Amino acid sequence: MSEVVPLIEALDSALYGSKAAGLGQALRDGLPVPPGVALTGDVVDAVASRDEQAMRQVMELVRPLGGPLAVRSSAVDEDGAGASFAGQHLTLLNVSSADQLAPALSEIWWSANSDSAITYRQRVGLFTRPSVGVVVQVLVSPETAGVMFTQNPVTGADERVIEASWGLGEAVVAGLVIPDHYRVDRAGNVLERTAGRKSIAIRSLPEGGTVEEGVAPELVERLCLEEDQLAELSHLADRCEEVYGRARDIEWAVADGTLYLLQCRAVTTSAP
Amino acid sequence: MSGAPIDVLGRIALFAELDDDELERVARLFKERRFSEGETIIQQGSGAAAFFVIDSGEATVFVDGKEQRVLKPGDHFGEMALIDAGTRTATVSASSDLACSGVTFWDFRPLVEENGVIGWKLLQSLIEIYRSERQQ
Repeated sequence: MSEVVPLIEALDSALYGSKAAGLGQALRDGLPVPPGVALTGDVVDAVASRDEQAMRQVMELVRPLGGPLAVRSSAVDEDGAGASFAGQHLTLLNVSSADQLAPALSEIWWSANSDSAITYRQRVGLFTRPSVGVVVQVLVSPETAGVMFTQNPVTGADERVIEASWGLGEAVVAGLVIPDHYRVDRAGNVLERTAGRKSIAIRSLPEGGTVEEGVAPELVERLCLEEDQLAELSHLADRCEEVYGRARDIEWAVADGTLYLLQCRAVTTSAP
Repeated sequence: MSGAPIDVLGRIALFAELDDDELERVARLFKERRFSEGETIIQQGSGAAAFFVIDSGEATVFVDGKEQRVLKPGDHFGEMALIDAGTRTATVSASSDLACSGVTFWDFRPLVEENGVIGWKLLQSLIEIYRSERQQ
């Protein structure tokens, strides 16, 4: 068993975390996931302890990805159907190169061992030691990104609900904008298009990190998804359900005309 | 290998009875953590995960919103978390960019459980702390 593997080889969620195993499964099933590497919780712990051998092992696979990178937590116990750790653990976008990875891994280790993470674990009844794997991927710089539920999370209706905004999807996930809101039925018919108020976009910076930028006035209330993109998202929802099952919470991005799947997890709260 | 300075750990009441080898074993458990100025490090009332020693920078301690004291390099906070992972009794915020060495309850407990000598010495230190507080 290797502590660091190409993402497509991440099989065991008990080692690499649910996020890595899920994205690995997506790649094996031909879903459009950005290429990356999966790290076990043990190797992240070792890097946070400044173990040089562990760091060399990580760099051997991460360096060929180039930069910039998206570094995401993939904790064991995370993203399971019983408890979503959404917002508890860290995602670090635009780590400019592999040389900046060690501090990023240390931050992620501490996010899983922070007071708030421990409090959350106690609240959901998880009293085991946190183990946080990591997914390191090529960072896409999208024109449009957001989230999609394969089942309406409010009404429980059998339809896709899509929220979208300009730039990186963190603007939607972090609630920084009022995103466009779409509903699409299982046959792909668009049931609703409601423009949001997308006054800012989050973009990656050349030197690393991200920045909030103002959006041009004419784009603030313009719908950011075209009909063909909605059709692609609908097809992506179908494929995700074939691979993972029903009731999925998906993060996606469109960069240079290509739709990418960034994350897919079970919806942990649904309408009755 | 990361770790807290042994001379700093030796001045902490909880570790007062440990010899240098035992302090070294405790020191190796620590990992570096950095905080930006203004960042809340621990929040009064929240669950407790880790104990911190300040390597550089300053932090301010608040209890019920009132400033209590300023912590400087070599100072420490949050040690009760190592034993009972209970709730925080104070809020500590970074007054400047801060570099700390921290150890979690999860990392500390196995060392104590595996080493009865260290466990016994910690008990002696806790009794000493208890006695001195009763006398105040």
